Amino acid sequence: MGSVHIKDEERVGSEAKYKLEPSVYLQKLYESGTPDLGWMNQMGEWGVRAKPGNLGLRLKDIEIGSYGVVPEHGGAHRSMAPRGAKIVEDLPSLGFTINEKAECWADNVSELYEEAVARQWSSARDIPWTELKPLPDDLERAMCQLCTFLTEVEFIAADAPTRWMGQMNHDFFEVKMFLATQAMDEARHMDVFRKRALANGGGLGKASYLSELSLKRIFDCPTFSAQTGRLQLLGEGFVLTMFRQGEFLAPSRVDQEIFRRCMQDESRHVGFGTMHLRTQLKANPAVAEQLHEQLDDAERILLETFSVPEAVEPMAILMGGGIDHFDKGMELQGQLWRRIVHEYLQRCDSAGLDRRPRCILPTDFNKMFEAAA
Amino acid sequence: MASFPDSQWFLTLGKLMHAEGELFRRLGYAETRFAVRVVPNNTGNGGDRIVGLVIDGYQLTEAKPIVDLNEYDPDFVICGKREIWDRMLGEIAEHGRPQLRHTLSSLALVGEELWLESTDQLREDKFYRFNQTLQELLNLAAKVPA
Repeated sequence: MGSVHIKDEERVGSEAKYKLEPSVYLQKLYESGTPDLGWMNQMGEWGVRAKPGNLGLRLKDIEIGSYGVVPEHGGAHRSMAPRGAKIVEDLPSLGFTINEKAECWADNVSELYEEAVARQWSSARDIPWTELKPLPDDLERAMCQLCTFLTEVEFIAADAPTRWMGQMNHDFFEVKMFLATQAMDEARHMDVFRKRALANGGGLGKASYLSELSLKRIFDCPTFSAQTGRLQLLGEGFVLTMFRQGEFLAPSRVDQEIFRRCMQDESRHVGFGTMHLRTQLKANPAVAEQLHEQLDDAERILLETFSVPEAVEPMAILMGGGIDHFDKGMELQGQLWRRIVHEYLQRCDSAGLDRRPRCILPTDFNKMFEAAA
Repeated sequence: MASFPDSQWFLTLGKLMHAEGELFRRLGYAETRFAVRVVPNNTGNGGDRIVGLVIDGYQLTEAKPIVDLNEYDPDFVICGKREIWDRMLGEIAEHGRPQLRHTLSSLALVGEELWLESTDQLREDKFYRFNQTLQELLNLAAKVPA
């Protein structure tokens, strides 16, 4: 039967564990030739006609009727049956543990997902690598150390949140889809900074104990929301400012292009985190204390991380334009530190978390030196 | 002939944006309502000029003078003195893009020559989310006399 040749066809199934037994339905179909068609009367809402907008058919365009309703409580069946489909009985549960909307949702999640898909880029194709020119040794070493740090930390925003994906009720699939784009973004960031370190006569620099400790704490967070506070509000918010600094201090157009594109990606992640925490804090104000505890520890480790030479000096060298202008670079870093703290606190405000009284990040960069003296 | 920051000047950029469709499609769509504020070089005398702009997808769909920013409710406002805007546009005219440290993002990061205003950090972050689109839009000024 059929014209496709299957190699050793006579051996297929010769040692099979189970015996093939056609279903009652298939036997009946074979005998009568009449289809059942009962499934045609077991549909979700019928007659839906989503219309594409000027940017195509986006998620928001199919949020129609019952399909547009995201439940406060995820389906009790705990399966991957699509939201809005006819749910049959006795579906095998996948054991989801995040079943409340507030535990993972963000009102901008569909928008951010579509935006992420539309604004994907390729580190191989979209970075003008051929324009990369040799840099003075101090600048290349500083850039390579910065790239080493970013290569080291970036993928945590893929590894850590995706651990929760499999625990999220599938009625909140938009969150899973967004997190999948975030994982893709972080793969690209890890790839592009590794490529940059190896593309211009340098190489990877020194890994960091404190960075690893910071990553471990993100990994060990007890809930998705706690991790979001630690990872996206502080960690990615901080890295977002670093990317902006990178765009500013880039010694070449190649570096500028890399940092600018990463900055765009990172700001989506921060946007999701901020909005998720806004949703969560509105529904469960008591979560604030859990977030504060995470941020108390995260801020402390962040300050320690940026109190060692391999973290401070590359940025100062790049900012100043070389070792000879190290002081100028430190001065610029001091100016930018205030922006980092300002934007972090603004995001906390936007999320509905009054972080100011508990924040240990000094608003004045010089206080970091005074405290150490 | 319209000149920066006339609304018509921005609309001319918008036409070029439409013509350069492939470049912007490759960057991905953007959706933001924002404003450009041009502050006179000698501050304190008022006379700011504000233009409200809307990017919808791959097109600049609106450019109009704004009197009341609260009413316009932009995601963010990019503010700078006239001389800073002129310098950026001059560099774009000469090289097709501003110098490395004179891009929108770089200047806004330092915050002295160019700065952002917004009512909400989440909305201000759209400046970063769509930064390349914003910069490429301004870079089209290389083809339009300022």
